[in-house]
Amino acid sequence: MVQFLQQLINGLSIGSVYALMAVGYSLVYSIMNFSNFAHGGVIMLGAYFGFFGLTLLKLPFAAAFLLASVGTLFVAIIVERIAYKPLRERRAPFLYFIISAMGASILLENLVIATIGPTFRTYPEVFPKAPLELGPLAVGRLDLIIFIISAVSLTLLILFIDKTKLGKAIQAASYNVKACALMGVNTDKVILTVFGLGGFLAGIAGVFFGMKYTVYPQIGNITTKSFIAAVFGGLGSLPGAVLGSVLLGIIETFVAGYLSSQFRDLIAFVILIAVLILRPTGIMGKVTEDKA
Amino acid sequence: MPESMLEVKDLHVAYGGIRALKGISLSVQRGEIVTIIGANGAGKSTLLNTISGFLKPVRGSVLYKGRVLPRRPDLIVKSGICHVPEGRLIFANLSLEDNLLLGAYLRNDRRAVQSDLEKVYQIFPRLKERRAQRAGTLSGGEQQMLAMGRALMTNGDLILMDEPSLGLAPLLVQTVFGIIEQFRGLGKTILLVEQNAFKALQLADRAYILEQGRIVKEGPARDLARDPTVKAAYLGSRSRGGGS
Repeated sequence: MVQFLQQLINGLSIGSVYALMAVGYSLVYSIMNFSNFAHGGVIMLGAYFGFFGLTLLKLPFAAAFLLASVGTLFVAIIVERIAYKPLRERRAPFLYFIISAMGASILLENLVIATIGPTFRTYPEVFPKAPLELGPLAVGRLDLIIFIISAVSLTLLILFIDKTKLGKAIQAASYNVKACALMGVNTDKVILTVFGLGGFLAGIAGVFFGMKYTVYPQIGNITTKSFIAAVFGGLGSLPGAVLGSVLLGIIETFVAGYLSSQFRDLIAFVILIAVLILRPTGIMGKVTEDKA
Repeated sequence: MPESMLEVKDLHVAYGGIRALKGISLSVQRGEIVTIIGANGAGKSTLLNTISGFLKPVRGSVLYKGRVLPRRPDLIVKSGICHVPEGRLIFANLSLEDNLLLGAYLRNDRRAVQSDLEKVYQIFPRLKERRAQRAGTLSGGEQQMLAMGRALMTNGDLILMDEPSLGLAPLLVQTVFGIIEQFRGLGKTILLVEQNAFKALQLADRAYILEQGRIVKEGPARDLARDPTVKAAYLGSRSRGGGS
């Protein structure tokens, strides 16, 4: 029972970071109908921003954390402006967006290899390694903090989307961009907002990954997991992305804990293939039949 | 001298290499209901989509209240043109009231928005009963009413309507045309694109007939309804059924 709870907490922690990344995929997908594969590069930069904020600039954790997330907010917006906006203006087919996204991802990764170098870097210790004793449970402080900050960020995001005027416009645009523009909504601003939100959360996720593991130029590949989670939950649906991520995190940790950590990645891809075959819209995916 | 709301001058629009509009000129005066009738593919929707900024003309201009319109669709809405698109395009994922409030996206005066919302509910009592329901659950007729109500919420002076009767039962078509008449009573000017030429000519003050991207005939709606060539082409067997 203790082991079960322990694994559950680990699963929630890793799942909540997947969720931070997955909502970025989902937001962009919901409006532009393509998967923004440059997202991994943005997360990787977030990890580096946080790392250099702590080491080079010797900032306190909160400031480095903010530097990383605001930094990636701008990176995401710049990627949109350079890689996607020209395509949007030409009404290019969605395949072009995916190619452009992959190009942006490769560019970001190699930019870091060329300037910072390919080495693995370890975050300085911010939180004490000793776990928190909660009765019979030993919970990693970092895991707990990751879970809390992720949960708060995601709640704020969902409140923003649900309660504000701009949030409603984002929902409207996810249903039909043209009709949204007919309401007087500046759809370009909606798209920028979506990239900005996704970028901000990507920075947070990047810092957490860096702290939990290490920082290296290919760390963005971890977004494969959040992409799987977004598909699992239903691409284009925010609650779906969160649910899919948390479930994937829990399933992975249980598989690693009870079977073998060798199976962890295997199970993620088995889930992806199973979802694509059995229920391509995911758990709560939007129906796209009315989107041309 | 009546005030000119909309002035379209020598408008040419092309998709790729295909010329969809080949020099359209028309005008709409304040308070008028003007209809454009024509067959499928004549260029009716292209014309409305160009006016509301989704298509760029190759040549020609659109003036609204004597001024050149801005390029972006949202700024065009802001200047006072509101477009009820073909197929309604309501936001099925949002509640009915959220749909209406999105119509008022650019308006900041909460009290005026609230009073317009009440006005819309007065015109469409059925929408009020279902205000919290997801718009996707509405029937085709109710969706059309919602799209029209949403247009009222923008508080624009000129309403462009693209095929409001499309796919509706004859009784509902009657209702929709009645509502357009009510809109005029609220001080709106209306440019109506319709396939149901019989109904449209009954309702409108003036009409233009569009064929293959050109205006082939124009005049008071009453005269066109009696015109033998118009009768033969657009009011033939369909007119007796009332619907389309």
